[in-house]
Amino acid sequence: MTDPRIEGYARGLFEIARAEGTLDEVEDELFRFARSFESSDALRSALTDEMIPATKRQAIIEDLLGGKATATTTQLVSMVVGFGRGRDLPAIVDRLVARASNAKQQEVAEVRCAVALTADQQARLAAAITQATGKQVNLKVVVDPSVLGGIVATVGDTVIDGSVRTRIDQLKSRL
Amino acid sequence: MNAIIRFIGSAGGGHDITQTPSTLWPERYEIIFGSFASVLIFALLFKFAGPVIKKGMAGRTAKIQAELDAGEAARAAAETEAAQIRTAKGDIGAERTRILAEADAQAITIREDGRARVAAEIADLEARSVVDIAAAHSRVGDELRAEIARLSIAAVDHVVTGSLDDATQQELIENFISRVGASA
Repeated sequence: MTDPRIEGYARGLFEIARAEGTLDEVEDELFRFARSFESSDALRSALTDEMIPATKRQAIIEDLLGGKATATTTQLVSMVVGFGRGRDLPAIVDRLVARASNAKQQEVAEVRCAVALTADQQARLAAAITQATGKQVNLKVVVDPSVLGGIVATVGDTVIDGSVRTRIDQLKSRL
Repeated sequence: MNAIIRFIGSAGGGHDITQTPSTLWPERYEIIFGSFASVLIFALLFKFAGPVIKKGMAGRTAKIQAELDAGEAARAAAETEAAQIRTAKGDIGAERTRILAEADAQAITIREDGRARVAAEIADLEARSVVDIAAAHSRVGDELRAEIARLSIAAVDHVVTGSLDDATQQELIENFISRVGASA
């Protein structure tokens, strides 16, 4: 059950990005920022600490995203953190991505790999997942060193795990 | 006394009776009177002193006999006691033999019991040792397997991480794409 406030923020961000005409780009940048937010304790602490003034937290976002992401993405993240909803940022972004995918008649496919995928690899992987699941997918790539090697793809409730980490874990279990 | 002497003197024919005719022999009458007096004295002694002496001798004989009897009785008692002692000695020997035999039997029983107990304890210890050894063997085996697994896991992490160069990463990605595409 999605929190109405999270859903409301996601709808608002979605509409702003669509109105700006940068939905795909913003969606992708927000997704990557949300994953970084989840994996970094320091970033999460800095952006969710109520003792730090909102202006200071927004300044941190400017430092992180300024010049690296679109202005819309920077402003949207700054707005969410400024409203004290930094803790809900990943959930908001996930709802935003799901909404964007639905708008394009697509399913979000979160792909985790140890090294970045080339555009060609992403296209072929999206095609392969579409072929395997029968759904058009909105591929979201997350570079996650803990995967070690290979890829873990999650489409809805389906997980296709070809990571070295999982194989090592299985080997450890057998040992 | 003087009258007697004068009588005797008159009977002697009127010579001095205080003088003897022979230096060796007394007067005849002295011999006669002496003999008579001796016989008389012996007769009196036999009559009056004889029974007393006889009684004394009989008493002495009885006393000696009694002493002899007492000695005989003492000897018999001593012989009886000696026999009893010899019997007792024989009994002591038999008792000693019996006690020694009983002690030997008890010693044999104790030794056999001890051997049986020691044998049982040894068997029990052996059984426990076998169980302990088996447990230790199993434990050591488990520990060894756990250690090997731990080292293997560490080695797997190290080897796999070290072997994941860029080419391998790309190969893994391509294999994944191919596998997912082929699974349709």
